[in-house]
Amino acid sequence: MGGVGTLHRGTRPCPPAFDPLRGPIPQAEGEESQHPIALMDFLGFLITQCLNALSQAALLFFLGVGLTLIFGIMRIVNFAHGAFFMLGAYVGYTAVHLTGSFWAALVFAPVAVGLVGAAFELGILRRLYRRDGSAFLMVTFGLTLILGEAIRLVWGVAALEVPSPQSLSGIVFILDEPFPVYRLFLAGAGVVVALAIWQFLERTRLGLLIRATSQNAEMVHALGTDVRLVRSAVFGIGCGLAGIGGVFAAPLVTASLGMAPNAVIDTFVIVIIGGMGSFPGSLIGALLVAFVQVFGTYYFPDLAMAFMYLIMLAVLVVRPGGLLGKEA
Amino acid sequence: MPGWRALLLIAVLLAAAPFGLPLYAMTLLTEALILGLFAMSLDLMVGYTRLYSFGHAAAYGLGAYAAGNLLLHTGLPLVFAVLLAALFSGVVAIGVAWVCTLATGVSFSMLTLAFAQLLYAIAFKWTAVTGASDGLAGIPRSPGPFGITIFGSKTGFYYLVLALLIAAYLFCRALVNSPFGAVLRGIRENEPKTQALGFNTRRYKIAVVAIAYALGGLAGALYAPFAGFTNTELLFWLFSGQVLIMVIVGGAGTLVGPILGAAFFLLVQQYLSSYTDSWALFFGAIFIGFVLFAPQGIWGLARRALQPRSGNAV
Repeated sequence: MGGVGTLHRGTRPCPPAFDPLRGPIPQAEGEESQHPIALMDFLGFLITQCLNALSQAALLFFLGVGLTLIFGIMRIVNFAHGAFFMLGAYVGYTAVHLTGSFWAALVFAPVAVGLVGAAFELGILRRLYRRDGSAFLMVTFGLTLILGEAIRLVWGVAALEVPSPQSLSGIVFILDEPFPVYRLFLAGAGVVVALAIWQFLERTRLGLLIRATSQNAEMVHALGTDVRLVRSAVFGIGCGLAGIGGVFAAPLVTASLGMAPNAVIDTFVIVIIGGMGSFPGSLIGALLVAFVQVFGTYYFPDLAMAFMYLIMLAVLVVRPGGLLGKEA
Repeated sequence: MPGWRALLLIAVLLAAAPFGLPLYAMTLLTEALILGLFAMSLDLMVGYTRLYSFGHAAAYGLGAYAAGNLLLHTGLPLVFAVLLAALFSGVVAIGVAWVCTLATGVSFSMLTLAFAQLLYAIAFKWTAVTGASDGLAGIPRSPGPFGITIFGSKTGFYYLVLALLIAAYLFCRALVNSPFGAVLRGIRENEPKTQALGFNTRRYKIAVVAIAYALGGLAGALYAPFAGFTNTELLFWLFSGQVLIMVIVGGAGTLVGPILGAAFFLLVQQYLSSYTDSWALFFGAIFIGFVLFAPQGIWGLARRALQPRSGNAV
């Protein structure tokens, strides 16, 4: 594999094909075996980058799944989703400092963010379901401004460091490549949360109602369920998931006021690629975007950002509703 | 036609503004008119055709960067550079619209968003043309043609903007009142029905997007020599969201409303930020208040206030 040497990061030279102490190295095993160490290097690089992408995908998934749930039920494009993500990071920061435990923050912050979301649904959104989409655009945009300013007033403008928990702050070596334990944990957490949401949607009564409401809200209402409660719950849960994402992201990126606009656009891209309203779609979208971001940044640093939007365009042109979405 | 007299009054007041207002206020007013032109261009899509673009910043950015490059690298007079940049934006829009109109509804919005973000990503990296994250600086207000130099001054530039805004408004008004505009309203109300009547609605949509982009590009092209610089913020999705809000706050589907919405947006932002650092808090509350209590927007409120008697007669 001639490409292997050029692909890896070049810290170690490829071993020579001729070992001066033992004579020529036998070449019977085929090309791969010529450079065993380079190959291992490349494998290590590949595995760590994949894990990197998986941890990134986990963060994007926490954001995307909430947005897609909300869209599926309410047909709202929630511009404030990035602001809820940011709120999660800041509340997480405070919770870590009050309790001294990252785990407590991981429980407390999403609940708090979810309650803020549910309160917003109860107070404002509930009055607007008969209006067209522009009303939701305005109120969620307005909420973005309000949350951003409220966060600035409470926590100030400086970026806040959130330490990752002691047990996860180290580094592991994967085929000699160093890799942060926290990112490994994040990738695992993404899998756990995805499974939990899946089971929640499939096995619980509320999950059933959510699926039913997204397909035919009037029928659910006619069958005697208060759809308004389902909507409040879904908006709260969706925002809470963004809050989880915020807490998880905080040790990686620090809690800062710039989080919201960048997060919300990535989230849109994921959900659009996967299909608005589709749960598995948000998972696929998150994986696709994360892998493109990680490998794109490595191989084509100038084009990485453009790639993401090109993929989005290509998907929408072929399937206007997204990969797993209904035709729009 | 209601409001013609009010509009004429506004135009006269705007024309007289340089004689009464301090220089600082004139700068603000010039920017408000540029943003007004930008918002009005989007209204053709949002208010008349129900095409919700989430990426209208693309039009503004295309115009601004095109005008910036023309003014920096060619000796083209200001007026020609601005018009050429608007044309450029409109031509690019034909391609954009051809792709975006493959979809409808939310997918259309998302495609326009994707295009705008793609341009943003390109502008961030194509240093030779866009200056990357630094943007283009020192964009001149080149004199000419025939040795005309008045557009170089603040007041002269203001009159140029005002004249172009009025011309664009009259053009849009004529457009929406024409048979072409009737088809657009048909698409807004019921696209399948309009198709059934024998209209190739996709062609009409592409045409209106191109016109909206050309006028939005004109606004961006005016902004470049107005500010003297461009940066990638002009292409960022946040700006697309803001102009959409200007249209809705002002009153979509009225042409005048979005101009007022843009002026309102800019002036309230300036006013609030001079009193409090937390202006965004009030700004956000104002948007939510508009949605809850004044869904017809500023122009709707103004019309109700201007015509209390005819309201009672009904």
